[in-house]
Amino acid sequence: MMTRRIGVLLFAVAASLPAAAWAQGRPNFSGTWTLATTAPPNYPGSNGWGVPSPTIVVTQTAAEMTIESGQFGAAPMKVVYKLDGSDTIWEGPSSSQSGNTAIVKWRTKAGWDGNRLVLYTWNTALNQMRDIISLSGGTLTIVRATEQPGPSTNATLSYTKST
Amino acid sequence: MPRRVLSLFALLVVLFGFGVLVSSASLQQTSATAASAKGGVGDITGPYDVPDPKWPQWAHPYPKPGYIWGSQGGVFAESPNRIYLANRGELKLPDRVPNNFPGNWGFFNQQAATVPIANMVNTIVVVDGDGKLIEAWNQWDKLFEWGRGPHQVYISPYDPERHVWVVDDMRHVIFKFTHDGKKLVQTLGILDEFGDNDDLTRLRRPTMIDWLPDGTFFVADGYGNTRVVKFDRSGKPLLKWGTRGTAPGQFNTPHGIAVGGSPARVFVSDRGNRRIQVFDVNGRFLDEWPGIAPHSMMMSADEHVWAVDSISDRIVKFDLTGHVEYSFGQFGTRPGYTWAMHQISADQEGNLYIAEVFGGRTQKYRPKPGANPTQLVRGRTLMPMSGTTSN
Repeated sequence: MMTRRIGVLLFAVAASLPAAAWAQGRPNFSGTWTLATTAPPNYPGSNGWGVPSPTIVVTQTAAEMTIESGQFGAAPMKVVYKLDGSDTIWEGPSSSQSGNTAIVKWRTKAGWDGNRLVLYTWNTALNQMRDIISLSGGTLTIVRATEQPGPSTNATLSYTKST
Repeated sequence: MPRRVLSLFALLVVLFGFGVLVSSASLQQTSATAASAKGGVGDITGPYDVPDPKWPQWAHPYPKPGYIWGSQGGVFAESPNRIYLANRGELKLPDRVPNNFPGNWGFFNQQAATVPIANMVNTIVVVDGDGKLIEAWNQWDKLFEWGRGPHQVYISPYDPERHVWVVDDMRHVIFKFTHDGKKLVQTLGILDEFGDNDDLTRLRRPTMIDWLPDGTFFVADGYGNTRVVKFDRSGKPLLKWGTRGTAPGQFNTPHGIAVGGSPARVFVSDRGNRRIQVFDVNGRFLDEWPGIAPHSMMMSADEHVWAVDSISDRIVKFDLTGHVEYSFGQFGTRPGYTWAMHQISADQEGNLYIAEVFGGRTQKYRPKPGANPTQLVRGRTLMPMSGTTSN
């Protein structure tokens, strides 16, 4: 009986370790963020892709991050990134290279690089985005790189917290 | 009886006349096909006959009804009877197509590379000299599903195992396959992850590759980054050079690369800056050749740089000091014309193959009888394959 209790206790401790480690070592980006500046100024994104959203809403748990934003195309979307490095795949609308909207496959992936979180977003309409997110002094910084068949883009976006 | 004889004679005359007409029409057709292309503003097919629009047989008709082969990223002729085609996926045809549809997307005056969303099927196929299918590497189609298909395809002239290298720009990697396509033996870069100019682990939309005789190779990287990366023969990155800009040693879309000469030099197509830059093998800037923006370049067997210009749609032969010796070509979608030549390759019999990304086809140009040999693109001789003496 005692052995069983110890086992249950050990399991509970082990299960809580990742969350505890995250809580201690990783920044939490949750909140509603308002665009403050872009470098270069007036960075337009690329053909409607990666366009800096005036507001983004981030929800973060130990397991995943959700970003609600207009940066994924014309219409705001809620996009999930699993923080264990595994893929999230779904189907949804995207602007294609012809300018039309089509239902295509989407995929996201996330990984920690120290205290920075690297987010990848791809879809089969040939839109790709890499966001490197960090927190410093109440500012959320996104170093954004986009790829499409046309020109690549690079920018740094700064957001301040609204709530 | 005489009336019957006369009728028979008249019939023979009619049949003979019909035969002459058919023969004449046939000859005219042959002549029209074999002669130089009409129109244009210059020498359109140079020392080559007008290509057969039905080459390769594999794609005419396309095996899947209602579809066609798509944007052609690359072509590599290992021999006259083993030609690798890098196809950026098949495209669905409109419900109705005109009777004169030749079987390639460029006919619709729409870029095959960017506008339609392709199915990543038949991305790498191998055909013989007639264009008949030898191998379809459909087992690897899935590799290209999150990108836009293979960008270009190569075999190092110095590799006795004749590995097949496929550049995938949108997935940011270069795949190295065994010669028969059964195994993927190496992937350079990290699939789908793009790195910046200082990152030697990742690439960012690499475009082209070429080798030194010892197996060292150079990658143009590319659409996203603005650099050349040098690797040792095992694929370990050794060094990189280039930043974004217009000064010597800087790049804007280094898209093509060719290596050769003595001492060896690295010729880089700096497409966005409309020039070719020349470096030593350690990245030291040596020279620039302005006025051309090549999609692709190749070092020929006679040590010349052949560049396919994205501005003029001409194929240009340079000596290694940057002087133009010859050029031909013309923009268009008719046979012999081209729309965005993306890779060229030549076999040991003098046939030239040109893959067109926007035209959506690969054309095979056969030398005209008596063609001036200095005007023919001559492919580098490949090292005999291990255990064989064939080429």
